[in-house]
Amino acid sequence: MEELSVHSREEKNVEEIARRFVPYGGRKKSPLGFYLAMDLSPIQKDLASKCYSAVADTCDDLMLKLASRGIRYQDEWPFAIHLLGHVFANDLNSARFLWKSIPLEIKESRPEIVAVWKIGQCLWTRDYAGVYDAIRGFDWSAEITAMVVAFSENYTKKMFQMLNSAYSTISVTDVAHFLGMSEDRAIDYALQHGWKLDSSCKMVIVKKPKTVTERKLDPSKLQRLTEYVFHLEH
Amino acid sequence: MESVEVLVAHIQGLFRSSDEVSQLHSLLKQSEDALRSHADRLVPFLSQIDPSIHTLGYLFLLEAYSSESISREETSGFLLSVVEFINSCSTEQIRLAPEKFISVCKIFKDQVMQLGVPMQGIAPMRMAIRKLQTSTEQLTTLHSDYLLLCLLAKCYKAGLSILDDDIFEVDHLRDHFLYCYYGGMINIGLKRFEKALECLHNAVTAPMTTLNAIAVEAYKKYILVSLILNGQVPSFPKYTSSAALRNLKSYTQPYVDLANSYARGKSSELEACVQTNQEKFQSDSNLGLVKQVLSSLYKHNIQRLTQTYLTLSLQDIANVAQLNSPKEAEMRVLQMIQDGEIFATINQKDGMVSFHEDPEQYKTCGMTEHIDFSIQRLMVLSKKLSSLDEHLSCDPTYLSKIGKERQRFDFDEFDSVPHKFMQRAYLFIRKGSPNGVVRHCPQTILSSSIMIVLEKRVTMRR
Repeated sequence: MEELSVHSREEKNVEEIARRFVPYGGRKKSPLGFYLAMDLSPIQKDLASKCYSAVADTCDDLMLKLASRGIRYQDEWPFAIHLLGHVFANDLNSARFLWKSIPLEIKESRPEIVAVWKIGQCLWTRDYAGVYDAIRGFDWSAEITAMVVAFSENYTKKMFQMLNSAYSTISVTDVAHFLGMSEDRAIDYALQHGWKLDSSCKMVIVKKPKTVTERKLDPSKLQRLTEYVFHLEH
Repeated sequence: MESVEVLVAHIQGLFRSSDEVSQLHSLLKQSEDALRSHADRLVPFLSQIDPSIHTLGYLFLLEAYSSESISREETSGFLLSVVEFINSCSTEQIRLAPEKFISVCKIFKDQVMQLGVPMQGIAPMRMAIRKLQTSTEQLTTLHSDYLLLCLLAKCYKAGLSILDDDIFEVDHLRDHFLYCYYGGMINIGLKRFEKALECLHNAVTAPMTTLNAIAVEAYKKYILVSLILNGQVPSFPKYTSSAALRNLKSYTQPYVDLANSYARGKSSELEACVQTNQEKFQSDSNLGLVKQVLSSLYKHNIQRLTQTYLTLSLQDIANVAQLNSPKEAEMRVLQMIQDGEIFATINQKDGMVSFHEDPEQYKTCGMTEHIDFSIQRLMVLSKKLSSLDEHLSCDPTYLSKIGKERQRFDFDEFDSVPHKFMQRAYLFIRKGSPNGVVRHCPQTILSSSIMIVLEKRVTMRR
């Protein structure tokens, strides 16, 4: 289905000329006339099913498809969700490039996009506590709130894992700083996960969890080993 | 105009059998000049032909139309029709006239760039590459155009789907240079430095009789990425062309100086070197990479400490790595642990860092899968190399070169013949001019990864 969107008077001329390139079978226009209703349902599906890690790829593909039709998608495109998708997948490079490509007028008129970018920026500069401030410092709209909450929980867990692997002892203030919680809540969180508190010097002793790794063998491995030996012999 | 109408009627009357298509193909080739003379009036005819069924006819008309310069107002309409054509065209018919298809795609890319909307070209170009390729291992002329569009539109991730294919067939060497250089740039943008190093390495060591600008730029980035990743720049491998060996360093002097300064390990000296050459780095658009090189010096200095010490205080780390305070050292070590560049634990109570060995035991399921996958790839590569071996040894030009020296071999030397055979084959590839090799060995696989394995076999059998 070929559809063109026309947003301004200059572009009406383009529409007239483009009409000459009528594709085979004629052009089908949307019943609403000139304004195109962009089909954002794949993104909404991902949000509804909470597949937040897939949001970035869905957004990328849809954006390229719309761009290839010459459609001016920027005004109605959900940049905030797109940016947050990249941040969620920890793909800060793509988030940066996307931010650079957003037109200035859109950045100025939609503060939510700037707020999402603030989170990305703090992650990029490794301002660990700044991420929490950025998350809490904005009144998120309804469609993005669930995703922000999910990201926040994920981030706290990741921070905790990082502390687990990097520290053997760490001060309570720093734990609170990295986890974005008050000192008491941070102590509770740490004690819940098996850490010990040395209250004399306000240090927490880290206990590394036992990691269980899979090591089972199965018969297909034998087949593969046979193939390798055969290959090496010949 | 009449001839065009007659032609269009022919095209529409086609019923898809292969004789009719080849008949139509010869008819179209004969009518090329007629089409071009009516280039500006072809537009209404385009709407009468269905591109999915009458691909070949549509392609010839489109190519004739685009060969003349397109007016500004018609550009967006032209772009849309090319996009629709690429999406719906039939692959078999495209492959009958690949040069025309490539020509249309190139003009499409030029128009998209001129109009300042590179993003519009990405999805169609990707589809065009997939339709033009006979297999995912073939490098087409469109690969480098696609990567260029991804770079301009800043959609770096989109380039990965094409970059991750292993290439074994190269038709034109120039495509290879551009593909490797742009591929390197995309990988650098996504911080995949190992892959970037591979791409740039291929660009620098590809066969060339005279130095070209692409190889020079690739070498500049190669030096910077090697420093970021490994802290040193490796020397040229044996299969590098002599043109590159002799001349590359003289064209990239500021970067060579930077590498030498890096090797001495003092960040103040490195910063001074960057300051002196700042304009050159700026004009090559490499200043961002140079800054990354600077910050990587701290990392490599800290990494070197792990080879000497089991535990070290944060204050000592700060002193050795020329950082400002123990707190800054702690943050740096934390970042390195997070990125997996170092294995250590920080003890804030005593202000000490203990360094550990890599805890990977290579026993887990995931790791075994990874190893299996790598072995499978190597087996495929090895099979391809054997078939390359056989092809080369049957090639007439190669045999005539060998034949001149046949009197040097007698029965006593029979055992060593395969080794000398391989050595000659290797020299043959190295000394042959790019066009010469392509002309004489059209089936030959030219990828440098094959050349690396080739090189290794020579040394193995020695």
